[in-house]
Amino acid sequence: MEIRIFQILVPLAALLFIISFINRYTKSKASLKETIFSIILWLSIAIFSVFPDIISNFVAELFGFKSNINAIIFLSLGVLIYSQFRMYTLIKDQRQQLTKLTRRLGLEEFENKEE
Amino acid sequence: MIALSHIYVLLPAYNEASSIIEVINGLKNKGIHNILVINDGSTDNTAQLVRQEPVHLVNHLINRGAGAAIQTGIELARHQGWPYIALMDADGQHDANDILVLKEKMEQSNCDLVVGSRFMKNGNQIPRTRIVFNFIANLMTNIFSKKKFTDSQSGLRLLNRKAIESINLELDGFGFCSEMLNKAEKADLKIEETATKVLYTKYSISKGQDFNVGITTAFNFLWNIFFK
Repeated sequence: MEIRIFQILVPLAALLFIISFINRYTKSKASLKETIFSIILWLSIAIFSVFPDIISNFVAELFGFKSNINAIIFLSLGVLIYSQFRMYTLIKDQRQQLTKLTRRLGLEEFENKEE
Repeated sequence: MIALSHIYVLLPAYNEASSIIEVINGLKNKGIHNILVINDGSTDNTAQLVRQEPVHLVNHLINRGAGAAIQTGIELARHQGWPYIALMDADGQHDANDILVLKEKMEQSNCDLVVGSRFMKNGNQIPRTRIVFNFIANLMTNIFSKKKFTDSQSGLRLLNRKAIESINLELDGFGFCSEMLNKAEKADLKIEETATKVLYTKYSISKGQDFNVGITTAFNFLWNIFFK
C-alpha cells in the first residue's frame, strides 16, 4: 500500500488533539462526555485518513452513491448541517438562560426595593 | 367600566433618555399614573432620569430585547395582581390618548386583548419601508392565526387579567408581537384591533425594526413555531 503524506500527518494531528483532550480532562477543564466524544471523533478522522478509499467506497455502496467522492461530500455536508443546527440550538438555549437570569435579577431587585 | 387607576402602562426602554420623560409626562397628563419602565440594559442615563419620576422601574442589567422586557413586565403584573396592563413604546411614537382608545374598545367589545392598529387609521404617515416590512410581518403572522390582523407588529396593546395570566412569552426580540397574538389565540382569548395614531420621527424610525432585525424576528418566530 502506497503511503501518502496526509496519511501520516492527519493521524499525528489526531493524536495531538486526543492527548490535549485527555490533558484537559485530567485538569478538570473538560467533561468525561466531551472527552469521549472528542476521542471518538479524532480516532474516526485518523482511521479515515489511513484507509480513505476503503471507507469512502463502503459509504458510497451503503447509501447508493455512484462515486465515493460524492458520498463523502454529501456525508460531510450532512454532518456540517447537523452540527450547525445543534450549535444554533445550544446558542439559543444559552441566550434564553441569560435572559431568564437578567429578568430574575431585575425582578428581585424590584421586589427588594418595594419591601 | 375600566378605571384608569387599574391600568398599568409598561414602557420597555433601551437608551430612551431623549424621549422617556416626555412619554411619561404625556401619560400623566391623560390621568394615567401607574407606569412601569423596564430599563433593558440602557447604556445612557435612561434609568437615572426615570428614578427621578414617581414611576416603577425594573432594571435589566444587560440588554435582552423588547420581548424580554415585556416578559418581565407581564411577570411583575402577574405577581402584583395588576388588573390591566397597556404596552407602549418608549420612543414617543405613540399618543398617550390612545390608551384611552384601547380602554374604550375593551369596554365595548369585552375582549381580553386590544391591539392598536396603525393601518386602520387614515392620516397616519408611515414610511414606505415600514409599510412593506409590516405587510410581510402581517402575512407571516396571519398564516398561523385564525384572525386576520392589520397590524401584528404594533407595540400598543391593552391586556386584561385573563390575558396577563395566560400569555407566556418566550421570544426576546421583536418577535414577541406576533408570538403574543399566536399564544392569545391558543389560549382562546378574544382579540380586537382598533385604530390608533402613530408619529414617526427620525428617532423613532431608528429605534424600530430594520431589515436585519426583521429577518431575525421572522426566523425566530418560525423557529419557535416549528421547533418548540
